Amino acid sequence: MSVAITAEADGERTRLVPAGTFDLAHASAVVRAVEQAERDLIASGDVDLHLSALDRIDGSGAVLLARLIDRLEARGLRTRVIEDHNPHAFRLITLYRERRVEARPQATRKMGLLAQLGFVAAAVPGKMAGALDFLGHAAAAIPKALVSRRSVDWSSLPRLMQAICADAWPVTSAANLLIGMIIGFLGVSQLGRFGAEVYVPELVVVAQFRELGPLVTALVLAGRSGAGLASELATMQVSEEIDALRSMGFDPVSWLVVPRCLALVVAVPLLTWIGDVFALSGGLLATIVSTDMTPRAYVLGAELHITGANFLNGMIKTPFLGLIIGLIACRQGLAARGGAAAVGARTTSAVVMAIFGVIAISALFTLFFTLLGI
Amino acid sequence: MPASRPHIVVEDLSIGWGSRVLMEHVNFEVERGTTLAILGGSGSGKSTLLRYLIGLEQPMAGRIDIDGVGEPHVYTGVPPFGVLFQSGALFSSLTLAENLALPLTTWTNVRGPLVQDFVQAKLDLVGLGAFSGHFPGEISGGMKKRAGIARAMMIEPDLLFFDEPSAGLDPISAVELDHLIVTLSRDLGITIVIVTHELPSIFLVADNCIVLDKETKGIVARGDPQRLRDESAIPFVHNFFTRSSPSAPGAREG
Repeated sequence: MSVAITAEADGERTRLVPAGTFDLAHASAVVRAVEQAERDLIASGDVDLHLSALDRIDGSGAVLLARLIDRLEARGLRTRVIEDHNPHAFRLITLYRERRVEARPQATRKMGLLAQLGFVAAAVPGKMAGALDFLGHAAAAIPKALVSRRSVDWSSLPRLMQAICADAWPVTSAANLLIGMIIGFLGVSQLGRFGAEVYVPELVVVAQFRELGPLVTALVLAGRSGAGLASELATMQVSEEIDALRSMGFDPVSWLVVPRCLALVVAVPLLTWIGDVFALSGGLLATIVSTDMTPRAYVLGAELHITGANFLNGMIKTPFLGLIIGLIACRQGLAARGGAAAVGARTTSAVVMAIFGVIAISALFTLFFTLLGI
Repeated sequence: MPASRPHIVVEDLSIGWGSRVLMEHVNFEVERGTTLAILGGSGSGKSTLLRYLIGLEQPMAGRIDIDGVGEPHVYTGVPPFGVLFQSGALFSSLTLAENLALPLTTWTNVRGPLVQDFVQAKLDLVGLGAFSGHFPGEISGGMKKRAGIARAMMIEPDLLFFDEPSAGLDPISAVELDHLIVTLSRDLGITIVIVTHELPSIFLVADNCIVLDKETKGIVARGDPQRLRDESAIPFVHNFFTRSSPSAPGAREG
């Protein structure tokens, strides 16, 4: 169906007659017809828009005709819309003209690189203050929990232990098993060049127990539980559940953060210990597959180096790794504002920051122990 | 198109989950250009019925015919209707303008500045012309609902479904929204199906209504809401429209 607007001189007046289908499906044709009509209309004086020849019109067609009239009036022409037995089109065009808002929103200026840098820098003190405030709240929540047992949601602890610890052991164990195999194969290939395969069990024990066991376990938990906790709390925040807790007199940090951090503080050492066992098995597999060493020789070699120093050197940092994951995940979750997008953004931030936090804490402990000569 | 053909025909509809039947043998029609209110007490299945009408669920039995074109749940392309959900259901990561542009750029060939023009016209229509760059988190609940209506209208449907549009709004915002719905129906000729239990809204916007009852698992009354309020002899319907509870101590008989 063709779309056109014809202009006819009628004495002092000009008749504009739109004809055809003025709807969304024909929007491009309607735009062309409107532009053509504006170009053709060189008359000054009065313009009448006759609606009788319109076959169909919807909101889109009405908007385009309404804006045409607005522009003609802006040119100083006097306009009238003539209903011509088409009350529907008349009502539509009138409605879109009446409801037009003249004051447009200010276009937001795009920030330059320097302005963006300044914006980010200016936000740092606020973020630091927020993080320190949260840390202070979390620190204060611990003695509060000891004094008033009802300030913490202890009933959630078994569920959290199940979700964070029990449900996670297959994946942390599998990761540690593979790490043990990697250390084993690496040890065989490197130490084997000097005929020193006999030191492979020692390498597996020292590398796994002191560094990689806690690190790998905490990294897996940072991704798994960090994301889960952050998204759970962020969803609670955007759906006003946190506000509801506050309104009922609960402190969300005590009520929600303490049990989650506690679950992680317990989970990371446990899962690391289980992971160490799996890593030893991985190292054993790699060694007996790629060398002539017997399983008994491997076990005896490993046993010799599973010392209190090696074990505790790794285990002592694990509660701190769990704590940093919990604090970061809960902080990010509670800081969510807005809707679904905020939940996603905070979850991403929580995982990234928790992974970085785990590596940083691990490195600090290593540095500390090295300086002490342990 | 013959004026007598109803816009929506629901025939012998049964809905539910698994073996649990929520409603059965439901029949009603919605005339073109009119507003039908779906009423009922809490848990009567108003919003659930709406989910079936817009094709989110598949009926256990019966037929839903919209505009003479098949069953809603088999639509795969552009739906022949718009929907306003209870919360507005705007995408929080997009500005209002981007929310409105989404169906237009997905389902039509309209591109470039024309998209902006149509989006701005719809925002103007619902009174949000100055808020196009705002995110949903930055506007009030009533504004979210108006933006939701504007988004539902972007592809110019001649049928709109509203799920409790006035719920949670202050009286002034609620009546403004009701007037907007009346404008859409009377000036734009849009057929509207509205789920609500706000009595002022019902009397202002609805030409007809159906009243659902969870005990009978179906429609217990239908017709002009004011006539039902004044003439219905069914106790539930009478109590519903007169806001009276038969169990309330000292309640007067209506």
